[in-house]
Amino acid sequence: MTAKQGELFIDCDIHQRIKSPKDFYPYLPRVYREDIDQFGLRLTTTGGGGYLNGGAGGYRADSYPDDGTIAGSEFDLLKEQLLDSYNIEYGILGGQDVSPVSTLPDADYAAAVAAAYNDWMIEHWIERDDRLKGLAVIALQNPKKAADEIRRSGKHPGIVGALVQNGARFPYGQRYYDPIFEALAEMNLPFCIHIGGEGSGVNGQPTPAGYPSYYIENRQSRAMGCQAHIASMIFEGLFDRYPNLQVVFIEGGFIWLPTFLWRLDSDWKALRNQTPWVQKPPSDYVFDHIRFTSQPMEQPEPQRRLLSVFEWAKAEKTLMFATDYPHWDFDSPELSLPALPDAMRKRIMLENAREFFKLPARQLADAVAD
Amino acid sequence: MDTRHVVVARVRDFPANTRRLVEVDGQEIGVFNVKGEYYALRSSCPHQGAPLCRGRVLGTNVSTKPYQMEYAHEGEIIKCPWHGWEFEISSGRSIFNPHKVRVRTYDVTVEPPEEEEEDPSIPMYPVTIEAGQVVVHVPVQQR
Repeated sequence: MTAKQGELFIDCDIHQRIKSPKDFYPYLPRVYREDIDQFGLRLTTTGGGGYLNGGAGGYRADSYPDDGTIAGSEFDLLKEQLLDSYNIEYGILGGQDVSPVSTLPDADYAAAVAAAYNDWMIEHWIERDDRLKGLAVIALQNPKKAADEIRRSGKHPGIVGALVQNGARFPYGQRYYDPIFEALAEMNLPFCIHIGGEGSGVNGQPTPAGYPSYYIENRQSRAMGCQAHIASMIFEGLFDRYPNLQVVFIEGGFIWLPTFLWRLDSDWKALRNQTPWVQKPPSDYVFDHIRFTSQPMEQPEPQRRLLSVFEWAKAEKTLMFATDYPHWDFDSPELSLPALPDAMRKRIMLENAREFFKLPARQLADAVAD
Repeated sequence: MDTRHVVVARVRDFPANTRRLVEVDGQEIGVFNVKGEYYALRSSCPHQGAPLCRGRVLGTNVSTKPYQMEYAHEGEIIKCPWHGWEFEISSGRSIFNPHKVRVRTYDVTVEPPEEEEEDPSIPMYPVTIEAGQVVVHVPVQQR
């Protein structure tokens, strides 16, 4: 391999895809094959909830294989365009095709699809390149089954977290989900929430104002979901009940965090009495337990306006870089972030993700010194 | 520092679990009888200046673990009438951040009635605590 130039970093959000639902057949219980042959996976993976997407079918136009089929489905192309084009220490696979399993009405089918996806990801992606690590999809309809899946797939060293969507039936601090957090504590794995599923399937509607008409509006509803989950986790005492729990919000945005925390902290001073188990300012829980990925980074002009936000939100601790490859709103590792002090940039690009996903620094022959 | 001694009330007129508001140099001060002990607080919330001592005197919910709470410190907490910040009357310390957010307190004593109030024509009785006066001690502001 040739020496790679450029900054060493970890990409916290890569979407690798199947070519066909049949890719899962070796991993799925036999009972589901005829159903899938006739009706597909019954998951809306692009244009979720009936919305459009951006770019070319939701993807970078240059990310489609030569056969024009599915962007993100060819390992060699993903390797060429992402892993070998940049100096990537690790890439975290977030999949896409089965991420909405928790929007399905059928709990057992959802759990079976999640498990099949996880096995497929391990065999065809994680075990193919030691830069790739993955998040195990879990189905929330039956938290005990989700916990079983965390214990099963989480045994593989390439599984570095459990993955759910931002859209949900109710917020993630509630006791319904306890078996999941018990399993995560036991396996020492983080809870990873990727945007998506807002308003889809059995989930609640995507905004308190109902369903917006257009995709651009739908994108703005993501932060509302993230904020609902964060408030739930804090005020349900989730981090008091599971003190080692770590959480990441992937692609949910970041610049709203300071104002949200200011609101929580000031309201807590007045309303503390109603949830007296919350005994420190809400922002303390966030800084201790929750992380955020960078993409899609806002682009104010001039971009240095982001620096105050980075400071207020303690980006040197809370922010982790992600490209979202091969989606159309890909963030360049070189050009998406504002100019930052070197130490803060290294935290965001590399060290925060190493710590969060418990990944050792790699001694790469082809890596420039980090 | 010079201190003003402000008579608030006779002890017998100031029963447990009641309060008196007095104004000293334009500043409202709340004097509280909490279970027989007297305390005084500046009636100005450190948050946004609300008349703190006009708030409700309550207990508060305490907890040692999520989803469990009990009512405690009944009658010992003043809750700001505007945003509901809670303060311990005896110390002026806020509940949410007792070390950094507090309201000004003043010393309160119970003192014998002043002599000039005595009338030789009235029969004398031993002085009892009930005849005493509740006095709040307010430092004179440097101007």
